[in-house]
Amino acid sequence: MIDFGFTLSKSSTVDLTTLDRSRYDQLIKLVPTARMCMNCGSCGATCTVGEYKGMSVRKVLYGIQRGEDVKAMLSSCMLCGKCTMVCPRGINTRNLILNLCKIYD
Amino acid sequence: MIDRIPSGFHPFVIPFLVGMAFVLLYCGFALLRIIHQLSWQDRKKFFLSLITPTTIYKNIRDIFANCLLHIPLWKRNKLFGYMHSSIAFGWFMLIVLGHLEVILFVPGRINLFYYPIFFNYFVAEADETIRGSLLFFLMDFFLLIVMSGIAMAMFRRIKNHVFGVKRMARPTFLNLVGLYSLWAIFPLRWLAESFTAHISGGSFMTIPANWLFRQFLGNELNMLPTWWAYSFALCIFMCVLPFTRYMHIPAEMLLIPMRNAGLKVRNSRKGFAKVEVFACPNCGVCIDACPMTVDNGNVKDCTVYLTRQLRRNNEERIQEISDKCLLCGKCEALCQVGVEGPGLRILERARRDYAVPFTYPATDKAIESRKVLYFAGCMTHLTPSIGRSVEAILKKAGVDFTWLDPQGGLCCGRPMFTAGRIAEAKSIVANMERLILESGCDTLLVSCPICYKMFRENYNLPGVQVTNYIPFINELIDSHKIRVEKSDICYVYHDPCELGRGCGMYNEPRQLLGRSAGIAESAHNREESICCGGSLGSLSLDFAQRENMTKAALNDLYTSNADAVATACPLCLATFARYADRPVKDIAEIVNNQII
Amino acid sequence: MKQNIVIIGGGIAGLEAAKQIHNLGYQTFLVEKSDHLGGHVASWHRLFPDMIATKPLIKDMISAIKGVTVFLETQVNDVEGVREGYRLSLSNGINITAQAVLVASGFQLFEAQRKEEYGYGIYDHVITNADLEAWMNGNKDQRIPAAPKAIGFVHCVGSRDLKAGNSQCSKVCCMTAIKQAIEMKERFPNAEVYCFYMDLRLFGKKYEDFYINAQRDFGIHFVRGRVSEVSETIDGRLQVKAEDTLIGRPLKVQLDTLVLMSGMCCNPLIQKLAEQARLEIDSDGFLKSRDNITNIIESGREGIFFAGACTGTKTVPETVAEARAAALSIHNYLLQND
Repeated sequence: MIDFGFTLSKSSTVDLTTLDRSRYDQLIKLVPTARMCMNCGSCGATCTVGEYKGMSVRKVLYGIQRGEDVKAMLSSCMLCGKCTMVCPRGINTRNLILNLCKIYD
Repeated sequence: MIDRIPSGFHPFVIPFLVGMAFVLLYCGFALLRIIHQLSWQDRKKFFLSLITPTTIYKNIRDIFANCLLHIPLWKRNKLFGYMHSSIAFGWFMLIVLGHLEVILFVPGRINLFYYPIFFNYFVAEADETIRGSLLFFLMDFFLLIVMSGIAMAMFRRIKNHVFGVKRMARPTFLNLVGLYSLWAIFPLRWLAESFTAHISGGSFMTIPANWLFRQFLGNELNMLPTWWAYSFALCIFMCVLPFTRYMHIPAEMLLIPMRNAGLKVRNSRKGFAKVEVFACPNCGVCIDACPMTVDNGNVKDCTVYLTRQLRRNNEERIQEISDKCLLCGKCEALCQVGVEGPGLRILERARRDYAVPFTYPATDKAIESRKVLYFAGCMTHLTPSIGRSVEAILKKAGVDFTWLDPQGGLCCGRPMFTAGRIAEAKSIVANMERLILESGCDTLLVSCPICYKMFRENYNLPGVQVTNYIPFINELIDSHKIRVEKSDICYVYHDPCELGRGCGMYNEPRQLLGRSAGIAESAHNREESICCGGSLGSLSLDFAQRENMTKAALNDLYTSNADAVATACPLCLATFARYADRPVKDIAEIVNNQII
Repeated sequence: MKQNIVIIGGGIAGLEAAKQIHNLGYQTFLVEKSDHLGGHVASWHRLFPDMIATKPLIKDMISAIKGVTVFLETQVNDVEGVREGYRLSLSNGINITAQAVLVASGFQLFEAQRKEEYGYGIYDHVITNADLEAWMNGNKDQRIPAAPKAIGFVHCVGSRDLKAGNSQCSKVCCMTAIKQAIEMKERFPNAEVYCFYMDLRLFGKKYEDFYINAQRDFGIHFVRGRVSEVSETIDGRLQVKAEDTLIGRPLKVQLDTLVLMSGMCCNPLIQKLAEQARLEIDSDGFLKSRDNITNIIESGREGIFFAGACTGTKTVPETVAEARAAALSIHNYLLQND
């Protein structure tokens, strides 16, 4: 490796044109209500483990759409259902998490 | 009474023998397989119970009461009770009396398997005896009883609502074949015996029919075809039996001893679960019981369809049915054979593989050491009226207490458990147990019935008494720590699923509510209480799909004409408050407002 | 003979329409269920964006309807279609046959206690936007401490919320919250003021300037995240939980007063009237107009007209403009029928 005195950074831009959406599409088929999220953050605010693990269904859902790794958040969910209760759009968040835990590899 | 056919045989008994052999072989193999699938501990338990006198007595009593006399069904619905017990018990008596006839009159033929079934064909009446007439009378009497039951079953097919049951499971093709052959057996037997009655003798059903038929039909010519038809009907019924709902007849006779032996469902596809699944008689009581079937929705997701799909191994449908259920437990509470709909579903959910493992988000919360540790639970943090009221009551009563979850955020593990992730739930339980035991409390006070059920059934907390807030507050009143006065408002009490059917607590909440307010009852209460629709038990039901269920449950509560609704669960409270046209309050809040 | 026109609702829509219709020369009746005219606006302190005081405004509007027959504390018991138009029987025993009816029944403020997680009626320092206006009008309110250190505003309480049965945006709450935030900051310059919003919907004339003022001149903190739950600390302060969705982390803050911006729902009293007069209800729970583009003030039935928030959430200028338009539509309708 020749040392040029600088390194090339990978682009941090989310390129929607080339983004692989298959995982999100798969999720939508299983949990159609997931499309209704308006990013209000109620789920993340009320989350039982959010305080410790930064878990937020909103972030999981948005991350999936933008190709982020959300495994760590998913694995901390206790399925207590508070997020389902507070969601103003009535998204079935528990089903969303369980299905993601199933299809995520 | 003498033997009429010297050989003691006629080819028309062959269809019956074929059917009988088939059904015995099938059930025998099924029995061996199920016993093989049991764990060795369960197997030992089962065999031991079969030679223990108390369980032998219990088994015989329960089989008589449930399978033949259908006593639980009588208690629920007299018409249904009569219909089922007339067929089951009547048929049983026909078989018993048939054997008695053979033993008394032609004892040499007792080794012939088919003889009691076709007795009237093989004998001729030589002289009339009291004993013979009595037996013939009893035979005709029980045949009449069975046929009256069959007539009711036919009538029920046309006018279902007369029996107070709105919906039945859709019969499959084979179920229909079984049904029609069963209906045919007894009229055909009556015809055959009637055509033979001038030879064999008979009683009040068969002799007059014989006389009547003789007026315009040649009896001798009709005799054999009817015996053939009778035998064929038996053959068809027994050949389709293993593939129809009628499998519940032998399955229930196995289910009762297994349950009396203390066996539990451990795997939804094997052993005891198989017996339960086959014991489902497809009566459809669970359809009307199910809160999801409001407006005829989700009918095919009821427990009767779960057992059907489990018999077919239809994986896609099994998953769908298992995930949808609210786990309210009403189907199980009303089921005549005790099919554990919710339990089977949780075990089905437990069969799934998850690519993402669960890691417990360990917390290092230090908890003050007090006598009473109050656990509000996740949901109660969204319904602060409950937590605040409990806190206020405890303060007024001077109880030495502290919160386990003051600023929210500890789950008891029940939602994880009902989602079928049993091992994951156990890790939550282990961490919570540590936290509670380290606090050094001697009472764990729980206001959420969902948590309470979990603490009761899945926690091991030596030295700590787990109590629900309702008996706890009742005790505070009994010991004069607080005093309440009765308000003029009349409440209808809604039994939360997890507290009522889940923990069997029906009287204590009514006692407590009655001390602080007027109390009214709705059309469906106690074990028949209708789920609010907000249950965490369901994984796949969306918010919009639950609206009608909540409204139906509310409408049932409104039948009481009460001013307001009282409940004892944060989830019921939040769910009802969304659509209710009158106030919905937790018992704790009502009591707290009435303290003087 | 002078033709009769009945206006149901004595809020700003009803007042403005009554003035116009009366000026056009019709016999005008104004039916109001409460004991005063001016509706919700009358109990407000000042109006955005110019901070106009409402008291003189409503006074002017009321003095402009001299000659209109006003029935206070009166409700419409029954509406019946007759040959001449509609026969209305009022709760005060009077029956009127009207050639045209204007429904200006307005909205009802969302009952904040229905969002129990916010603790209205449970905690000691949670109030609504209406409570705050009443307090600014001089009413005493124990829930607002003498010198609050931190004040929070929760946008969208009962609006944009399917769980509360209201999917609509209430339109005015974002601006009301900013207005009230500024007013609080003016009174308590040392207090930190937080607005918890999902989206800031500031669409009207000078609204955005108002927002800039709030940021630049008053230093109001805007947090993008819906409040999920409120609890009380041992020392009696409120602890509010939200997610700061812009950095993606849960956020909590202790406040001395929390103001819930209750949204607008259709007036439930109108349900009975709608049934009697066979008026359709739209999917959002408000009355259904003939269409929502050019005929928003016309109902599906001949001779019945709408003005104001009975057909959906509206601002004050929109309501007043609709009231005038409705007066003209009624005039044209009656000319055609002559």
